[in-house]
Amino acid sequence: MQFSSRKNALILVMCLLGLFSANLALGKKKEQRNFVTQMDQPEMALHALNRLTFGVRPGDLERITTMGLDKWIDQQLHPERINDSALEARLSPFRTLRMDTRQIVENFPPPQLIKAVANGKQPLPSDPLKRAVYQDQIERMQEKQDRKQLTSDSDVTTSTGKASTFSDEERIDRRDKRVSADLAAQELLDMDPDQRLKAILKLSAEDRRALSNELKHEKRDECMEGMTPEQRETVMALNNPQQVVANELIQGKILRATYSERQLQEVMTDVWFNHFNIFIGKGEDRYLLTSYERDVIRPRALGKFEDLLRTTAQSPAMLFYLDNALSVGPNSDFANGISNRAYKKAGKKRNRNAGRGNQAKGKRGGLNENYGRELMELHTLGVNGGYTQKDVTEVARVFTGWTLKKPKQGEGFTFENSMHEPGEKWVLGHRIKPNGEKEGLEVLHILARHPSTAKFVSSKLAIRFVSDNPPQALVDRMAETFRKKDGDIREVLKTMLHSPEFWSADEYRSKVKTPFEFVISALRATGADIGDAVPLARQLQSLGMPLYGMQPPTGYSMKADAWMSSAALLGRMNFALALTSGKLKGLKLDPGYLLGTNGTASDPQQTLAVLENNLLAADISRQTHDTIATQLQDAKLGGRLGDQTRLPSFSVIAGLLLGSPEFQKR
Amino acid sequence: MSITRRVFLRNGAMAIVGTTAIPGFLTRAAFGAELAGDKKKRLVVIFQRGAADGLNIVVPHGEPAYYSMRPSINIPRSAVIDLDGFFGLHPSLSAFQPLWRQRHLAIVHAAGSPDSTRSHFDAQDFMESGTPGLKTTQDGWLNRALHALPQASNRSAFRAIALGPSLPRILSGSEPAVALNNINDFGVGGRNPNAAPIANTFEAMYSQSVDSVLHGTGKETFEAVKMLKSADPSKYIPAAGANYPRGRFGDSLKQLAQLIKANLGVQVAFADIGGWDHHVNEGGTQGQIANILREFSQSVAAFWTDLDDLAEDTVVVTMSEFGRTARENGNRGTDHGHANVMFVIGGPVKGGKVYGRWPGLDQSQLYEGRDLAVTTDFRRVLGESVYRHLDNRSLDQVFPGFDNQPEKFLNILGLS
Repeated sequence: MQFSSRKNALILVMCLLGLFSANLALGKKKEQRNFVTQMDQPEMALHALNRLTFGVRPGDLERITTMGLDKWIDQQLHPERINDSALEARLSPFRTLRMDTRQIVENFPPPQLIKAVANGKQPLPSDPLKRAVYQDQIERMQEKQDRKQLTSDSDVTTSTGKASTFSDEERIDRRDKRVSADLAAQELLDMDPDQRLKAILKLSAEDRRALSNELKHEKRDECMEGMTPEQRETVMALNNPQQVVANELIQGKILRATYSERQLQEVMTDVWFNHFNIFIGKGEDRYLLTSYERDVIRPRALGKFEDLLRTTAQSPAMLFYLDNALSVGPNSDFANGISNRAYKKAGKKRNRNAGRGNQAKGKRGGLNENYGRELMELHTLGVNGGYTQKDVTEVARVFTGWTLKKPKQGEGFTFENSMHEPGEKWVLGHRIKPNGEKEGLEVLHILARHPSTAKFVSSKLAIRFVSDNPPQALVDRMAETFRKKDGDIREVLKTMLHSPEFWSADEYRSKVKTPFEFVISALRATGADIGDAVPLARQLQSLGMPLYGMQPPTGYSMKADAWMSSAALLGRMNFALALTSGKLKGLKLDPGYLLGTNGTASDPQQTLAVLENNLLAADISRQTHDTIATQLQDAKLGGRLGDQTRLPSFSVIAGLLLGSPEFQKR
Repeated sequence: MSITRRVFLRNGAMAIVGTTAIPGFLTRAAFGAELAGDKKKRLVVIFQRGAADGLNIVVPHGEPAYYSMRPSINIPRSAVIDLDGFFGLHPSLSAFQPLWRQRHLAIVHAAGSPDSTRSHFDAQDFMESGTPGLKTTQDGWLNRALHALPQASNRSAFRAIALGPSLPRILSGSEPAVALNNINDFGVGGRNPNAAPIANTFEAMYSQSVDSVLHGTGKETFEAVKMLKSADPSKYIPAAGANYPRGRFGDSLKQLAQLIKANLGVQVAFADIGGWDHHVNEGGTQGQIANILREFSQSVAAFWTDLDDLAEDTVVVTMSEFGRTARENGNRGTDHGHANVMFVIGGPVKGGKVYGRWPGLDQSQLYEGRDLAVTTDFRRVLGESVYRHLDNRSLDQVFPGFDNQPEKFLNILGLS
């Protein structure tokens, strides 16, 4: 019976585990341990993998066992000690992931920059590739203007009864262009990828635009087929440079979660991004998030909380997202019309008018409470952390002047004294003396050290890692460490990982995976080879969790009730089936990898046993196993499966396992 | 009689998963029969997430203070669609004008929650749980609204439905409720020839799962999948004149209309539309608020047209977590405020009227010196809909701790 082989594997793991890691579960305080039943050894290893990584890969359990659980956890807490070169190689084609914001803007220009170049306010870049991107975008912009012109013209002609403003010659010319573009497209598709790209770059900007119009959807995919990621990047940049930045950010996120050996660091990066959430769809944030995640969040994911708080507060992405960059002290020089240097510098021509409308006539600009409120509600104290509306307004006054230098050119944070509200402020009972930029730093320091912050942040971590309803005693101990160790996140995690609550048998597979956790864990379990992660991002969108796509600052919920619904369940089952039957674009799945070297599992029952081992570390309920096993014996399904080669039966069984209740939990 | 029909229905639906050839009229008749004798009344709740600016939606154009507090983002008197000489609709709400004239649209102004929170998350949570200030409530009021209904009422898997990928707080609770993102994807395995046996295997797995959340969700899901398959709502295309604008919200309402027209027994439904948090450049007659109001009102109006005679038994209520500051802020936007406006649309609605006491916009009349004050508790409006339209007399269970006697209703709905 298949069960016996699975049992053997478990026993082996159990023995190996017994040699290590015994002290992890032993919380410091004996009396606490008595309250909770602890997991057994193999469960502990699986639990650690489920909670501290984005999912268990085949062989992970054996690896962690050989290394020792304690040692593995310690290593994960120090990501800099882990070699991650395989991931780096996968990320290397995506150039924007290594660019600073200024380079991103230059290479993948937003519309404002295109306009500036088109109007001659900025020169065309000399690099031929960059130049091509700009020229194409200018061409596209002009095309759009022409179209607008055309529609307004034709409105006129219909009302006056005159003929079209286009002469016959022009019309013929246009048609010819269309035809030649069509021909060119076909010719291009017949070339090999290298030649194809060269040919595309040789075209005039006008022809390239015509070609681009021809190449929609599948044809564009076809055009990019066989190209290296760099070549694809070029073709996509010609069409929509800003999309390249967003796509590469998404590639990075999915590739890192799936392939990084520094799993805990990636999990914590996700935790903090979600805590200090920013929506990619808000204007400039489209090209600011690359640096935000890479330079602000990830390096501090296991560092000091106050560092995170300060760097997010000063990040262009946050200053823009929560509008603080626009907040003006009502009594500042700028508001009083003494200086408008600040707004000019920040490139906010449009908003100068916006400010002008404020209640006090003649004044420009005023407070914007958005950041002040979310800073306390979501980033630090928590909604019941003891602040009032008055505190919100005062914090907003403190942060006036924290703004951006030329954000559209990719420059960063600046303190603009002329926008800063003069006078003292009172925040949470503290008098904040007039001190310019330092007032904000003082407030961040007060907030970072506030007991409510320690509690709120600890509670969020416990919800993510331990339970939807974490035991208060655990949260209290984590908060105590937070306070004593100056917000040291690694130390807070250690307290959690040494707690009996973390290893309580009740918590084993007690958390429902979010869509992101579900998708990534399925990719990890199946050893999928991702060539293009964008189709996966689309799947996440339909599962209700678009990457960087949470519009409100709250971030995604990490609790089950947000993610369990009919639509979600069906979405997961269908994702599982699509993944295992090779229907998802952009990735490859090798059944041989999961079925063993010879890959010739002769009958469905054996395939089931092997896949249970590899996809669920053999830890599957008897009900689920029996259900699938029975269905496989069923004349109809079994017969169909038996008739076919091993591949369909692989895909059906693997799909059933990834869609099973067990796989929805971690 | 009805037992026999239900048995037929259940067995029929089971069989349909494996086979396909059951005439549509037969199943439609079966569902119709199931519902015969029940009141087919339905309540649709729409949430404007992000705190819509009620003062720029139903504009108090008779208030001079409105114009002085919003010098750059006000809706000029010349631009509003006047309703009664004091209030007027934002011009982007022109799709609502016919409904108002036909008296199918009522407005409640200065409605909201008594809780003072200006947190989006908490305020939405309170409006969905129906217990402002109380965070420990586990379920949502729209789910509880189904509790005390007569036992004979329908047990359709589509009785309570949310449009979107997840089940919102408002519908969570002990009554089965389904979240549906897209009618066409609502099934297992798509065109795979093995789809039916695969679906059956998943169903068996989940029905045996010891995990109560997964077990419950699985059960509701597979029942709904079968019903949907046999009712085939895809054949109910939008009625003439029902022009849904593009976007998620319009899609949601279009699909909801399909489900209702397919006679799936929808009793309560929920849809939401985000993007109302305009701290910067809110706009006035043009701009952000104008655009989203157009999408909002055209979607609702199309839904109304699409339902045709079924609209007679339908009540739509809209809400948003709180309003926005009476004054515009420093960036031609508005910050988090307090009271807001609610729309009530439907067959039994006594429309063409703005309900609720107007608290005024003078400095002394503002809540905490900055926001429109709440004069109508949102539960008063919802309570009346639940009581009069759904016939649920146990409002103390739907909105516990709130004194919601019928004599305190605003009488927005005709007595039935």
